[in-house]
Amino acid sequence: MEDFLFDLIDLVQSIADGLLFGTTYAMIGIGFTLIFGVMDKLNMSYAAAAIAGAYSSIAVFAVVPAPAPVVFLIAAISGGIFGYVIYLLCFRFIPLTSPLATLMATVGMLLLIDEIVVHETDGMPQPYPALFDDVMIELGPFGLRGDLMFVFFISVVSMAVLLYLIYRTRLGIATRAVSQQPVAAQLCGIGLERTNAMTFVITGVLGGIAGAMIGAAVGVLSPLLTLPFTVKGLIVTVIGGLGSIPGAIIAGLMVGAFENMFQFLRGVTERDMYVMLLLFVFLFLRPGGIFSPKAGRD
Amino acid sequence: MDFYLGLLQIIGVHTILGLSAYVVMLTGQLSLAQAGFFAIGAYVAGMLTVLAGFHIVPAMLVGAVLAGAMAFIVGFPALRVKGLMLVIATLAFGEFVRLFFFNFDYQISKGGITVGPLGGEGFRQIRFFPENGWTSLDVMLFVWAVVIVVMAALWWMDRSRAGAVLRAVGEDELAAQSAGINLTVVKVAAMTAGGFIAGLGGGIYAHYTTHIEHLNFGVILATFAIAYPILGGLSNVFGTLVAVVFIQGVLVEGLRFMGDWRNLLFGALIVLAMNVRPRGLFDERAMALLKGLFTGRGHART
Repeated sequence: MEDFLFDLIDLVQSIADGLLFGTTYAMIGIGFTLIFGVMDKLNMSYAAAAIAGAYSSIAVFAVVPAPAPVVFLIAAISGGIFGYVIYLLCFRFIPLTSPLATLMATVGMLLLIDEIVVHETDGMPQPYPALFDDVMIELGPFGLRGDLMFVFFISVVSMAVLLYLIYRTRLGIATRAVSQQPVAAQLCGIGLERTNAMTFVITGVLGGIAGAMIGAAVGVLSPLLTLPFTVKGLIVTVIGGLGSIPGAIIAGLMVGAFENMFQFLRGVTERDMYVMLLLFVFLFLRPGGIFSPKAGRD
Repeated sequence: MDFYLGLLQIIGVHTILGLSAYVVMLTGQLSLAQAGFFAIGAYVAGMLTVLAGFHIVPAMLVGAVLAGAMAFIVGFPALRVKGLMLVIATLAFGEFVRLFFFNFDYQISKGGITVGPLGGEGFRQIRFFPENGWTSLDVMLFVWAVVIVVMAALWWMDRSRAGAVLRAVGEDELAAQSAGINLTVVKVAAMTAGGFIAGLGGGIYAHYTTHIEHLNFGVILATFAIAYPILGGLSNVFGTLVAVVFIQGVLVEGLRFMGDWRNLLFGALIVLAMNVRPRGLFDERAMALLKGLFTGRGHART
């Protein structure tokens, strides 16, 4: 009975840690979902660009030593730049009539970013600064890691800012108009290309912050992070419902908690398999995701 | 000489892999799970010849049938919803298969040594070819016999009603649906066929490399699989073959002197090619032009 209780405490603890870390998945998922909503296309290189944003911030850090918040800020800015570059290289000049070409170009971009990172760092993991990593908040038998709390806090703030941008500003109205009816939006005088480019920059900034938070929570950045974050970010978008921002947030937390629970139960090598099984459970039972868009508009 | 035979084997196996993605792509879908089906074929066929003493041909067929069945299971829920779901579901499935074999141990003792898949160590000693005295030339001929069978089957399919149905779905889903075509059935059938073909390719791959591990079947291989038909265009099966010869023979072998810059170039080339020629390097117009050169008639048949 004692043992069972201890196991239960550990299980709850790992679920709580997973929920905190899940905000990073939520941010990556929002990025995928926003670009999908606006352009009706997947940007496969999004998570890679997010991690690359964090990498560029340590590249700057290596030249000019700066405190951690400045590093995070640089990550956000370079994430935005990456977003714009990806828009130019993979979306801007490829005709809308060849959706496969766009998709393939972003897959190529994913490999390119990954290889640049491997080339520049020789594939070695790079340490990443964190804040409050020596703080531990004790709550009875549970403890909340300070760095994870910080990651959670920053992620929630950036998601709130994003929601404000999308639902309360002119730019957000334009973005949503383009995502609903591109032709009608253009007739209202909304520049399609400018709005699309801005969406990429905004999601890129969000990705840069996500990359920095991933680095802060994991403690290192490694090229091995890109693919799992790409897969899990996409799983989050599907579970949340393609195109749904609130769905992506809830699904992100869910995936974070779910994977940490299975890491506790089955070990780290099998963890990701269960996340992928979760995707297939959703595809079978609720294919439209938690917040499925209204039926009838395929 | 062995180098060129080895290169021909690689080109053959990658052609099969590319053709498996080609079938799916005819319906306008993109599958990133071809490396996963390839892995299933490789592991199953390898285990059947090494652990159960099968001949390679039935072992490959069993592996391919299993891979096709998995493709059906993956494709069905994903294709019911929306085309892009397949990209996500297949990417996740491909990684799932890789992680599965990363965690998969099944070893038995045979003649004093233990054989079988061993998790991260991989699956060593798939020695069907050397044990039965097949030379490199025999292996190469066997690979190409399979390639020719697969290509002929697809060529014939393309000329039959089935090919027309696949292309109709790929060109315009709405129009195909209004002509009474059941989209889900067609797409899932293409997916299953693609899984079967990839499984065949995996079966051969496992036997000529004699050592497979989970890292062989990552997202890079999945990207190669879809890169071939995209670069080669979808006008016919030979486009894929030409693209494989170009990528494996010219780019991968020819650029060895560039060391690890070569991998960088691969991603950049895909991005560039998609911007310059979004319908593939050898699209319908280029193919018609080539055809005109060889037959002396210059008009396009698209």
